[in-house]
Amino acid sequence: MIRWEIAEFRAEKVDKNILGFKADILIPDEMYNTMYTPIKFTYDGQRFTVNGSELELGYSIYEIKRRLESLLENSLIKKLGKHSREEEYLRSFRLTRMGVHQYNKMINLYYAYNDKFLSVGDLLVQHPHRIGEELCRSPLRVDTNAVTDIKSFYELLAEICRSKVRINVDLDNINEIIEILLQEIEV
Amino acid sequence: MAVMACSNGIIQEFSMETKINEPIYISGVPTYNLRLEKRAHEGYLYINGIRAKALPGGAHYQMIEPQLFSYFDEICQLFTGNTVIFVDHESYLPFIIRNDNVTILSIEVVGTTFVMNTKLGLDDIRDIGNRIERIFRFEIIPLLKEVGLYD
Repeated sequence: MIRWEIAEFRAEKVDKNILGFKADILIPDEMYNTMYTPIKFTYDGQRFTVNGSELELGYSIYEIKRRLESLLENSLIKKLGKHSREEEYLRSFRLTRMGVHQYNKMINLYYAYNDKFLSVGDLLVQHPHRIGEELCRSPLRVDTNAVTDIKSFYELLAEICRSKVRINVDLDNINEIIEILLQEIEV
Repeated sequence: MAVMACSNGIIQEFSMETKINEPIYISGVPTYNLRLEKRAHEGYLYINGIRAKALPGGAHYQMIEPQLFSYFDEICQLFTGNTVIFVDHESYLPFIIRNDNVTILSIEVVGTTFVMNTKLGLDDIRDIGNRIERIFRFEIIPLLKEVGLYD
């Protein structure tokens, strides 16, 4: 199996039914550790492209959609939904790997429901595939427009920690989606 | 908002604002908005800048001083070194903590967005927040209520 690293993964659902994603991954060169080949996958609900070229996804799109749906059912997105007064028009999830800081990786997680967002950023983790274990023990930055006072902000912090197991499930879903995509393009 | 400064687990100074329904008389003026203080290097309670003992009913205020300061000590004992803590007056949860001049927690409101930066983990923040909230809610506030300094 080929080695790869995530640069960014985005999933979103528009108007309750149009599912899309973007995945930017890096494949390390076998000979030179510091060189990477980037691959960009995009799907807007109709067209699937790899580095800008359109491809047919076949039946695997159903498995990908199932995993995207699961990602967008995250409890943090649902929590944001409770703070939105409008009918659902957008759900969004984004995982970004910002870079390497000494021996740690810096990760940003972003969740949105309509115009309400939660960003968990500058999170330093040793094991980016198991963020959940380190989520509530690491220095980080939290931004959100979904709360109006300090008490509800702390309640949101509690919800972040309650979701740490779920975050690992989400990471498994992302990994599976990328594995499927790589098989599709036969890398 | 309440602000407190600790040194090695002992309260050095604090100030907090309270509102009361039954006024206390300060220089003969009925006063509803209070600012309670302990000043550095002094073991007394001040109310709106006047030593509490000197106010009408001051004996009651003086009686609670040791107990009140010991409750603030309990908060200070969560930290080592010199620590400044800002606490939200509605939730009694901390929103800024500076330890030895390093900000280890800050929660700011920028426009409509709450922004938190921390050198602690969320588990530690929640634990510290819960403890401070409990000390205010179940110790400091009831004590102040007993002598009419909080409603």
